Amino acid sequence: MKQISRRQALAGSAALATAAGSRRAKAAGTVTVWWTQGFYQAENQAVIDTMKEWEKRTGTKVDLTIINGPDLITKLIAGMQVGDVPDLVHTVTGDRFLVPQAAWNDQLVDVSDVIDSQRSEFLPTALDNSRFYNAKLKKRAYYSVPLKCSTLMEQSWRPLIEEAGFSDADMPKTHDAYFKFFETVQDKLRSKGKRIYGLGYSMATKEADSGTLFHHFLTAYGGAAIVTPEGKLNIDDPAVRKAASMALERLTTPFKKGYVPPGAINWGDVDNNNAFYARQIVMTPNATISISVAQMEKPDQYFKEIITQGIPAGNDGQPIASLLGVSPCIIPKGAKNIDDAKSLLKSIIEPATLNTYLKETRGRYLPVMPSIVKNDPWWLDPADPHRPVAVKYGLLLPTTAWWMAYNPAYSAVLSEQIWCQAEANITQRNMTVEQAAEEAIKRIKATFEKFEIG
Amino acid sequence: MTTARLDRRLTGIATLVFGLFLILWSILPLYNMVRVGLQHKEDVFSNNTWPPHPTLDSFRTVLHEAYWLLQNFWGQMGNSFYIGVAVALLTLTIGTLTSFTIGRMRIRQGWMLTNAALMTYVIPMSFLAIPFYGIMGKYGLTNNPLAVIAVEVTFATPYAIFIFQQYSGSIPQELDEAARIDGASPPQIFFRIYLPLMAPALVAIGTYALLLSWNEYLYAFLLLSSDGNLTVPVGLGKFLNSDEAPWNYLMAASIIYAIPPLVIYYTFRRKMSGGLTMGGVKG
Repeated sequence: MKQISRRQALAGSAALATAAGSRRAKAAGTVTVWWTQGFYQAENQAVIDTMKEWEKRTGTKVDLTIINGPDLITKLIAGMQVGDVPDLVHTVTGDRFLVPQAAWNDQLVDVSDVIDSQRSEFLPTALDNSRFYNAKLKKRAYYSVPLKCSTLMEQSWRPLIEEAGFSDADMPKTHDAYFKFFETVQDKLRSKGKRIYGLGYSMATKEADSGTLFHHFLTAYGGAAIVTPEGKLNIDDPAVRKAASMALERLTTPFKKGYVPPGAINWGDVDNNNAFYARQIVMTPNATISISVAQMEKPDQYFKEIITQGIPAGNDGQPIASLLGVSPCIIPKGAKNIDDAKSLLKSIIEPATLNTYLKETRGRYLPVMPSIVKNDPWWLDPADPHRPVAVKYGLLLPTTAWWMAYNPAYSAVLSEQIWCQAEANITQRNMTVEQAAEEAIKRIKATFEKFEIG
Repeated sequence: MTTARLDRRLTGIATLVFGLFLILWSILPLYNMVRVGLQHKEDVFSNNTWPPHPTLDSFRTVLHEAYWLLQNFWGQMGNSFYIGVAVALLTLTIGTLTSFTIGRMRIRQGWMLTNAALMTYVIPMSFLAIPFYGIMGKYGLTNNPLAVIAVEVTFATPYAIFIFQQYSGSIPQELDEAARIDGASPPQIFFRIYLPLMAPALVAIGTYALLLSWNEYLYAFLLLSSDGNLTVPVGLGKFLNSDEAPWNYLMAASIIYAIPPLVIYYTFRRKMSGGLTMGGVKG
């Protein structure tokens, strides 16, 4: 039998490696896209349809992979570490947990030219959420393209509120009174023998929901200036400190008193939705209107039973600017087909295309372009009890950007769940509010020291 | 009743109570899987101990892929099988050849290879995820089941070599020598003497390697992307991101996915335990 020499074996390996390389080179004619999985089928179908339409129009193939939200970020970070990345990524929570630090580390392609193709159409807050500081180039630029947005919504069960002897009109319009109302609802329902919780919000130290709610509370109590637009930490401002302490106290006290399910300390983003559907809770804050949208096939629930409201006014009766969450598209550095990725992105953000896509997703997320909701009556259809409420709070009333756009340190604060850890310190480790707030502030200061914007 | 008899009786009762507690502790999660799997979607979060209206609908839904997150369930099952069988076969091939070479052909410093292989277990699998991702990317193997197979074989092989080495110690060297005198070449000794006598260990390690890859999530999730290539564990992971709370489908799919390993385990159980214990008592 013919023996294979060491030299031949090495030559064979080299040939294999070359073949692998050529396979990757061939892939340059394709746009590889990673997209966050939707919460229901229509969301996935909408992106599949949008990509198919673009493929048909341009003749360029789209290699689309739909991955669930947290996994997508993990996988992308792994890809960025080793330089094997897709051409285009849409990540729903990327604006908080990924993009700011990736832009800081010069791991993203500048997409200002894509933004420019529709600049006048975008909601200004959405643009604020998309401009990040690059520490290597020492400048700010657009490193993400906003695609859809949302603000915090409050959803509750009308039948349960009525069973407790109240009506929609009894629901208070100011912050503290609004949340207190559901404690009363719980007391009334429990007195009738119902095993139920009035408030159903996440107290977990993972995923996005608990952090979203904390920061809404922080804003409601006057702590919106925690980071300046220049990226400076402003946490020693007495008003911000007071707001942070109040937010911690007002979120943890109902939990300790038994108005929030004990399991909420371990809820993922979908668990409050599930507890709501199971009618284990009367109300839940949610980052989108997905709770009602997922029940569209059940007209009784969608039109009669589920109530959607925007955030209540501040305790002084003045409206609070909603924190606008933006779901971005990004092009990681190292992408093999940047030109086609940009071309695809420009196509997706054309108002007509974006409108079709978002309507197909049933409007769980809002367009980042006010003209879309003004020109298409579907968005503000008065017969719909949910969507127009979301549009009003997300696009027509004042909104404010999240702070990680000003300084990526705040993205680290969110990733490390510093405020949610403070909540856990109060509920699980019996710290006082002041101790927990102090510890969180110390950690936040240490985090900001790593991200000095020069 | 004497004190000794009372003591014995109390000990017996305590053992029984403790045993019952352990049984309940072990069975409750499985029971919960079955309970949720037998419920309608709307009843999933009810606190009933037994489903009020038990139904096999969830299992039918899984079998017919009649839910959007299960659209490619059988394809994913096929991928799991393909990866599992490939990992088992490659692990057995590499493991037996290595242990035969070291143990029977008595290469010099062979013990170093065995020890070096075991050293790989010092580093947890998850720590090597990023380096492996990078290596597979360089080979152009991302989103290719071969990448998962390669990784799983890498992790299964050291243990396989160790067990085969230990087990083969119980096979007399005289058998090889007799075969050699009769003119058998090393490959003939390997195929006609070594492998047949190693059967229990082969079954044990083959099952171990198959189960290792069958239940693997991290590497399958990292290295595979497109729906057509996913394995069942990664496919089921998508359920954890849905608003529609189809936990009954998730549990039904998990139960169905658990059946093949159970069948394999109970089919080969006797040989498997024999293979593992004999490897451990080599004198």
